[in-house]
Amino acid sequence: MNRRTLAAFGLAALLAAPALAQTPDMQRPPNMPDLRPHPPRLTVTPPDQVPTARLRVPEGFRVELWASGMPGIRAMVRGEGGTIFAGTRVIGRVYAIRDLGDRREGRVLVQGLTQPSGVAIRDGALYVSALSRILRYDNIEANLESPPQPVDLSAAFALPPETHHAWKHIQFGPDGRLYVPVGAPCNFCTVEEDRHAVILRFNPDGSGREVVARGVRNTVGFDFHPETGQLWFTNHGRDWAGNDLPPDTLHVVTRIGAHHGFPYCVGDWRDPGIPGDRRCEEFQAPVAALGPHVAPIQTVWARTTSFPEAYRNRLFIALRGSWNRERLSGYEVVTVRFEGDRAIVEPFLTGLRDDQANSFHGRPAGLLFLPDGSLLVSDEQNGAIYRISYAGR
Amino acid sequence: MRPTSALARLLGGLLLLAAPAAAEPLAEPCAACHGARGVSETPIIPSLAGQPADYPILQMILFREQIRAVPAMAGQMQNRSDDVIARIAAFYAALPAAPPPDRAPRDAALAGRGAALSARMNCGSCHLPDYSGRANAPRLSAQREDYLAHALREYRDNLRLGADTQMNGLMYGVSDADIAALAHHLAHRD
Repeated sequence: MNRRTLAAFGLAALLAAPALAQTPDMQRPPNMPDLRPHPPRLTVTPPDQVPTARLRVPEGFRVELWASGMPGIRAMVRGEGGTIFAGTRVIGRVYAIRDLGDRREGRVLVQGLTQPSGVAIRDGALYVSALSRILRYDNIEANLESPPQPVDLSAAFALPPETHHAWKHIQFGPDGRLYVPVGAPCNFCTVEEDRHAVILRFNPDGSGREVVARGVRNTVGFDFHPETGQLWFTNHGRDWAGNDLPPDTLHVVTRIGAHHGFPYCVGDWRDPGIPGDRRCEEFQAPVAALGPHVAPIQTVWARTTSFPEAYRNRLFIALRGSWNRERLSGYEVVTVRFEGDRAIVEPFLTGLRDDQANSFHGRPAGLLFLPDGSLLVSDEQNGAIYRISYAGR
Repeated sequence: MRPTSALARLLGGLLLLAAPAAAEPLAEPCAACHGARGVSETPIIPSLAGQPADYPILQMILFREQIRAVPAMAGQMQNRSDDVIARIAAFYAALPAAPPPDRAPRDAALAGRGAALSARMNCGSCHLPDYSGRANAPRLSAQREDYLAHALREYRDNLRLGADTQMNGLMYGVSDADIAALAHHLAHRD
């Protein structure tokens, strides 16, 4: 990011003064311990130090180290030609990974962006979101060696310039439009309802802006149901409300533009930090609670015929893991299965959280089903990708 | 050298313990600005001695990747490997922190105001109560006062990001006068 862009952020921060006046640390209650975000690891983790041996999957499945050496790797998407593209946050890179059969070749496709966490593919072009910027790299798979200068669509998308919770997931819907969330610029605060804490959708060129969901504090993962096309998204609850409150949540958009509760409610939990008479019944309730502070990132429907039948209509969610909680939570991949109206959350990939030591060995972030039905899981802390396949009964 | 007394043997042992930090050819280019032993005598250039290694590792990678724009550092860090970066960081982490030789006298009233601000803003929560720092939250104690004020202004004005946006949120709307008080307080903690 250049200085001019950053100076623009400063101006925007001034304009947004009421929303930003409460900073996260100012909102810390006196009885909470000194918690803080875990530092990222930006250096390469050698393959023999990646904690593959700690990983656990359900019986019949097998997990292996598939690729490594890509610090900060997060959400993944696959191009038609088989290249896997992955975003990052602080290290500012987009990776491109080719499967060479016996090994994988990962390369830094782009670097020097500010928090390029979102990657999406359409008509041979790679779309990258870097906070409020949206960039398009045309015909990307034919140009992996020297990617073209991107087409900068930022002015057309005109996303707000605030940085906090502006790292995002982006994805094309079955309607051919690009879905782009804008998080709340604070831990909790009242926001302008059509500007922040929303999921938007646009035509691929940035025109046709429409609010799909309101009251969404910070979604970093969503997917469209393979049959109904409905948008299912996960959402991060706020910090400093307690070890067990509020939960992070799973939602479905059944009505375009509906309000999902932020900053007032998470399900039936009314946030005491936001006074007023708004009641939780006013808002679209979540489908499931995922647990407090578990930090859901990439969220994908099972697109696999090689997993057993029982797994094929499930949602898979990577839980990057907590920082704002005395006992660690998350650090695993879970599935959500459905029994009538009930959504049941079950662990799928575990072993990265050490409950005895209250420590963690890795942070699952990205999920991607390959054409052979196996599931890739990226580990942001170790810069690695694991592959989970079904080995038989 | 032949040790002739218990004191000399003790000193020799200390020198041995400090041996890994005694020399690091990779860090030689850094010394011109950051000081031979990591205590900077150059205005606006930070001291690196005693920084928790994760902090200079993060910054050097941000320079290498051209995410944090400081022209002098972009040139120095171009194409540096992770291993080189980790060795430079370890070298400075092992050196003892010390105030710069040109530190101005302490102004009790200004330092007191800075201490009150720091308590309200919870600086000690991430940087530890003695400001010695941990992981990617740097050591603040005995840092150059002019550098501290410069860095805090850069966070406030969104000219610089850390591993996340915590410092930008925290510094939002803080006045130049309050930044001066904070910097004075922190620079005079040893």
